[in-house]
Amino acid sequence: MVVVGAVLCAVASTVLILALGELIAHSSSGRPEAKRRAGELLRAVLTPDQYGHLMQRGHIDIASPSDPDRIYRLPKGPGRVQVREKGKLTMWLCLQPLERVPEADLLVMHKLMIEADEQTYLRKANRFSPTFWEMRERPELQ
Amino acid sequence: MGMLRIISKRGDDRLIWNAEDALAGDAEAKAAVQEAERIFAKEQAKGATAFRVEPGKPIERVEQFDPQAEQIVMVPRVVGG
Repeated sequence: MVVVGAVLCAVASTVLILALGELIAHSSSGRPEAKRRAGELLRAVLTPDQYGHLMQRGHIDIASPSDPDRIYRLPKGPGRVQVREKGKLTMWLCLQPLERVPEADLLVMHKLMIEADEQTYLRKANRFSPTFWEMRERPELQ
Repeated sequence: MGMLRIISKRGDDRLIWNAEDALAGDAEAKAAVQEAERIFAKEQAKGATAFRVEPGKPIERVEQFDPQAEQIVMVPRVVGG
């Protein structure tokens, strides 16, 4: 009886380990191949200047097509998008795909939507006001 | 050559076609265009948005599949976070 229990336990453990392995292998943005492909698309979509800026500064600025005083600051990693008007932070935006995608694809998504469909982007994104301290950021951090 | 890139958890799924060969009547090229059009419609029905992305030109949102497009990128449905 003890032997049967031990065998069943071993089988159950093996199945669990295999299932976890499968889950990890197919998890979205953790896969190197997915990251590589997303990186390729990002390079294809950004201008060389934008790509260089992203690598150096960790963000890119996308000019608003409708307001010359407004830019959208997209972070390299996940996080909220800054809306800056005349250089000052005025709002945070949060928008995400329903499906989990690699980080580089998030940047592509924001850029495409802002440049080609800004009104829908603004309508769909959740908006957050900056805190008092964020509004008083030091110029060297801008 | 045209390319449809669908952003997904796999990075992006790609489908390539040759519009000139399809216009010239090449059966394989026509099938590739039809397949791209079918996938475009399927993703759109799921809420994806399509953008025409071509070097040196402004990015443009598109509602219809265009086999003459050099590159179409589809973004999955988005929601406020």
